[in-house]
Amino acid sequence: MTLFSRLVLVSCFVWAPWADAADKKTAKKAEAVIKAAPVATRPVAAIADRSAIWHTWTDKEGRKVEAQFCGLSGEFITIQTRDGRTFHFKTDILVPEDVVFAKQCLDRSRTNSFSREIIASAAADVDKLVVATLAANQQTLNAPATDEEFLRRLYLDAVGRIPTAKEADAFLTSAAPDKRAKLIDELVFSPGYSMQMFNWMADLLRVKDTFGKGIPAFTFEDWLKARLAANTPWDKMVFEMVTADGRLCDNGATGFMLFDAEMPLDGVSNLMTTFLGTNMACAQCHDHPLADWTQKDFYQMAAFFGATDGKDEGVLREINRVAKADSAVNKASVRKIAEMNAFRLNDGGKQSLTLPKDYKYKDGKPGDPVAPSLIAWSKADKSLPAYNVSTKNPAQLRDEFARWLTSAQNPRFATNIANRVWKKAFGLGVIEPVNDIDDLTQASSPELLAHLTFVMKAAKFDLREVQRVIYNSKTYQASASPTPDLGKAKYLFNGPIVRRLTAEQAWDSLVVTAVGTYADNVLLRRGDDIKVMALPAGKVTMAEVRNAIDRTKKAFAGSGKAGGKKASGGSTMGLANGYEGDKPVSRFSLLLARASELPQPSAETHFLRLWGQGDRLLADSATNDGSVPQVLQMMNGAVGRLVSDTRAEAVMAAEAVKTPEAQVRSLYLSFLARRPTPTELTAAKASLEGGLALTDLAWVLANTREFLFIR
Amino acid sequence: MNLPISADLLRNPEDRRRFLEKCAKVAFGLSVLPAFARLASAAEQKSAVKAPNAGLAGFGKAKHVIFLQLNGGMSHIDTFDPKTGPSKGPGEIVSAKGDMQLTSFLPETAKVSDKITVIRSMTAKVGVHASAAYLMRTGFEQRGSVQHPTLGAWAQHFLGSSHKTLPSSVAVNRSSNHGNGWFPAAYSPLPILNPDDGLLDTKSPVSEAVVGKRAALLAQLDAGFGGKAADENVKAYNEFYETTFQLMKSTDLKAFDLSAEPAATRARYGKGKFGQGCLLARRLVENGVRFVEVAHGGWDMHATLDDRMEDVGGDFDRVFATLIQDLEAKGLLESTLVVVATEFGRKPSFEGGGRGHHPLVFSTVLAGGGVRRGYVHGASDAKGYAPAADGVSPGSLHATIAHAAGLPVQTEIMTPAGRPMEIGNRAKPQIGVFS
Repeated sequence: MTLFSRLVLVSCFVWAPWADAADKKTAKKAEAVIKAAPVATRPVAAIADRSAIWHTWTDKEGRKVEAQFCGLSGEFITIQTRDGRTFHFKTDILVPEDVVFAKQCLDRSRTNSFSREIIASAAADVDKLVVATLAANQQTLNAPATDEEFLRRLYLDAVGRIPTAKEADAFLTSAAPDKRAKLIDELVFSPGYSMQMFNWMADLLRVKDTFGKGIPAFTFEDWLKARLAANTPWDKMVFEMVTADGRLCDNGATGFMLFDAEMPLDGVSNLMTTFLGTNMACAQCHDHPLADWTQKDFYQMAAFFGATDGKDEGVLREINRVAKADSAVNKASVRKIAEMNAFRLNDGGKQSLTLPKDYKYKDGKPGDPVAPSLIAWSKADKSLPAYNVSTKNPAQLRDEFARWLTSAQNPRFATNIANRVWKKAFGLGVIEPVNDIDDLTQASSPELLAHLTFVMKAAKFDLREVQRVIYNSKTYQASASPTPDLGKAKYLFNGPIVRRLTAEQAWDSLVVTAVGTYADNVLLRRGDDIKVMALPAGKVTMAEVRNAIDRTKKAFAGSGKAGGKKASGGSTMGLANGYEGDKPVSRFSLLLARASELPQPSAETHFLRLWGQGDRLLADSATNDGSVPQVLQMMNGAVGRLVSDTRAEAVMAAEAVKTPEAQVRSLYLSFLARRPTPTELTAAKASLEGGLALTDLAWVLANTREFLFIR
Repeated sequence: MNLPISADLLRNPEDRRRFLEKCAKVAFGLSVLPAFARLASAAEQKSAVKAPNAGLAGFGKAKHVIFLQLNGGMSHIDTFDPKTGPSKGPGEIVSAKGDMQLTSFLPETAKVSDKITVIRSMTAKVGVHASAAYLMRTGFEQRGSVQHPTLGAWAQHFLGSSHKTLPSSVAVNRSSNHGNGWFPAAYSPLPILNPDDGLLDTKSPVSEAVVGKRAALLAQLDAGFGGKAADENVKAYNEFYETTFQLMKSTDLKAFDLSAEPAATRARYGKGKFGQGCLLARRLVENGVRFVEVAHGGWDMHATLDDRMEDVGGDFDRVFATLIQDLEAKGLLESTLVVVATEFGRKPSFEGGGRGHHPLVFSTVLAGGGVRRGYVHGASDAKGYAPAADGVSPGSLHATIAHAAGLPVQTEIMTPAGRPMEIGNRAKPQIGVFS
C-alpha cells in the first residue's frame, strides 16, 4: 500500500478531508498571506501564527486535503488536518506548486528565527556572565576548542551523530571566518536535529512503544516527531500534552498523561519532576524530609487532576459484552481492540480526590476531600498573575493547571527546561540534579541560571533558538574540562565537560560510519497502524469490532519482515510497514536506522540498551555507565563487525583513495572527525604494511576512547 | 551552640564522627553512641575491616550472596505466610519441614524449609512497582537526587574485588540499572540478560594474530586521548577495555557457560530463564563471584492468582528448592547466602481473582550463609495485614545481608556529593536470624 493511499484511508476512516473540487483560490490566498507577512526579527512567531494558514494540498492524482503546514524535513513534509491529525509523507506525491509552497512555508519559519547578529549578542551575554563568575573565583574559560573538537562536538549535540568524512572535510578546509556560525545554522535546520531532539525528549517524556499491558502507543511517538519537525515551542508542546483529550489512538498528545493512567498520583509527581524539576515524589506518601513540600501540598496539586479519567470503563464493558455473544471471534483480538478504545483522557464533572487512608498530619483527616491549590516556592509567587486560576469548573481544572504550568511566570517552568537544555550541551546542569531544582540557591551559578531562564523566555520557549545561542557562545566553544568532582567544588563552566556519547549518539555515529547519511532519510511512523484499531465514536457493535480487528490484521500484516528481525529491538510490531520513504539497510541482524527510528526503547540486548538507553519507565532513566558487555560487543559482536565490514561507508571511502596516508586520513575523518597526528599516521601506516587491513584500522578507531567521548 | 570546629571536619567521615561525639559530649556530657563504641572495640579485635558489627553472630559467614528478585510483588499469604479465615487464598496450608507452615503452592520448598529462615514481618510504605523494587534492591527509598548502590557495590567498596578477572557483581535476567550507585561505574553489576547465552561476544571473529595486532595498534592510537586522560569516566573505560582483554584470554570465562553443566543438572533447574539464571548464579558463585542478582517476573497477580501461582509460583518453587539442594550438595550453602526478595506483598482481601499491592507486611526468605535453619523470624497479624510486632524494613534486611557478608553496618561513608550514607539507610541488622 502506498503511503498516500494509506493517508487517504486513515483520513476517511473518521473524517474525509479530501474534497472533490480544486480550490486554487484558498491556496493562492494562503500563499499571499505568507508572502505578505512581515519578516519577524523576534524569535519564532508562535506556531499559532503559522497554523492560522490553511492550505488545500493537492497530490499528483488530483486528490485534495485541507491542512496546515507543520514542517519540512529533507524530502518529508508534515501537515495537520482540522481534526488535529498530523500526516507525514514524501513531497514527491504532491503537485509541484505545493512542493514550492511547502518550501516557502519552511523559509518563512526560518526567517522567524533570530538573526545571526541577535544570536551572537545573546551568546556574548552568556559568555560575559560565565567569565565574570569564573573571574570572581580566580578561574578562566578553557582555551578555545580547535575546529576539529568543535566540529565533532557540534555534530553530536545538534544532529546526534558524528560527521561523515566528507562533511568533516568540508568544514575543516573551509576558510570562511563565520564557518562555525554557519555550520550551527545548517545543522539545527537539518533533519538530524529533530531526530536528536526526539532521543533527548523520549528519555525525558518516557516515550515507549507500549503502555500498560501492551497497548501500542505509536501515535505519541508520531505526535512528538511531528511537533519537533514543526519546531513547536516547548510551552505549547507541554500545554498540548497536559490538556490533551480523547483516545490515544486518535490523539497522540494524550500519550504523556496516559502513561500513568493506572497510577494518577504517580503521574502528578512525574509531571512535576519532568516539567518543573520539582521533587514531590516523597510528599506523595509523607511530608518531604528534606524539602518543604508536605503531603497536603502534593494532594492539593493532584486535585487538579481529580476530575480526569484515563480509562473508559463503559466502552471496555460494552465491547466485551457485544463480543461475548460472538463465539467465533478471537478473544485476544477483542481484548486488544477494547483496551485501545478505552485508553483515553476525559474530564468529568466532579473532582473527587480525597486524602489517603493513612493521612497522619494535623491539617486534615483521612478521606477528607481535597481542594485544588497550587504550590509556591516563595511567598511572592502567589501574587503572580499566573497563579490566578479558577478551580470552579472541575472539567476545566486540567486546563487551568496547564496554563499555570506553562506560563512564563511560573517560577520553575522556564528554569527547568533552560537548565536541561544547558546540560544537554555542557554535560552538567547549572543546577544538579536537573530533576530537583526546588532550591535555586544550590545552582553552581544562580546568576547564570537566572540568565538562561531569561533567554528561554525571550526565545519564547523555542528550544532550537536557545541551542543556537548556546552553540554560538565562547563557553560552549571552549575546550572541554574533565568531569569535575562536585563534592569538592562547584563547576563554574570553564567549558563543556568531557562526556561519553549517549547510547543514541554512539549508535547513530556507528550507523553513519556504516551507511553514511542514508539513515538520515529512514523515518519510522507507525501511528497510522494503530489508528485503524479505533472504533467510530460512540459505535460499539460487533460488526464494527470485527472491522477494527480486520483492519488491524491488515495493517500489521508483514510485521517482522523487512529487516524487523528480533535483534533489532523490542516490539517489531508495525516496524515493516512503518518505514516511510527509504527502507533501512540490515547488516549482521542490525537494522541500520537512527535510534529515533527504531523501537522505543530497543530490546535489552540491543546496543542502545547496553550503552544506557533508558527503559523509559522513569523519566531521565538513560545512563552512561560502562560495562564489560559493552566492550565485548564493540570488539567482537555485531557492532564490531559492522564497523570493520568492507561494505561500511567509512571503509569504502578509505578504499577509494590511493595512498596509505590518504586512506588513514580518510578513516580518521570518518571516525574521529580530525586529521591524524604525524605519530598516529606513522603508526597506522606501519600497521597497514604489517598486515592489517583498512577494516582493521576502522575497528581500532571505533574502539578508541576518543570515539566514545565528546571532548 | 558555637563550636570551635572547622567545616572541613564535616567532610571526612572519621572526623565527622569525632565531631558528632564532641557535640554529644558538649550537649549531654557523655557520648550518645555507647553501643557504637562497644561494637567498635569488638571490631578492632576480630576483623581487619573496622566493622562495629564484627563481633556479632553470623558476621562474615556469607562469602557470596545470591539475591533473587521476585518482580511484581509476591503474595505472602499465598506462599510463606499462609492464613486461615477470610484472607486465605486458593492454596491449602501445609506443614513443612523445619516446623513451619507454607501453602500448597510450594511443595518443593516445603522439602527444604528446614534449611531456610522466613521473615514474615517485612514492612515498607511504597506500593508502586518501580520505586518499591528500587527500595528492595538498594535498601533506600528512591530519590530524585541520588542513586543508591546495590549491596554488591557496597561490598566491593569495603572488601575490594572478589576475583582477579571475573566481575564482583553480576545481574542475571535484568539490566544493571545504576547498580553502582554513587560508587565508580566499574562497580556496576555485569548484566546477563539471557543465562543460556551467558556472556555474549567473548570470541573475536578474526584470528588471534589479528586480534593481537589490533590491540597493539589500539594502544598506540589511543595514547593521546585515552592514555593521558584526566577524566574519571575515560579512565573507567580504560579499565573496562583492559578487563575485557584479560577476560577474553582467561579460562575463567567458562563460569558463564551453562553448556559445561551436566544435562541432568540443567534439567533439574528447568528450562526457564529463572531456573537457568539460578544455575548460572551457582556456577558464578562457585567460581568466585561475590554477588549475583537473579530476577524472576510475573508476580503482579491482580487477576487469576490461582492459575498464576501454579505457573509462576510453581516455577519459583521448583527452582528455589533445587538451588538450595544443589548448593548444599556442593558444600556451598554455608558460605552462600540466598535471599528471596520481592517489592511488596499483596492484600489480604481479593479484588476480582487477585490481590492488590500491599507493602505494609510481606515475607522474604534467607537461606545459607550462616542464617538459622528452619526458622521463622517475626510474624504478621491474623489477617496478614500488618506486622504483629516490630516490622523489618527493607533497610534492615539489607543491613542483615551486609552483616552476613562481613560488611560494616552503621558505619558512615561520604558520597562524592558529600552526603553521609550507611548501608540500609542506618537500619540495624536482624542478628536474631543468625545461628
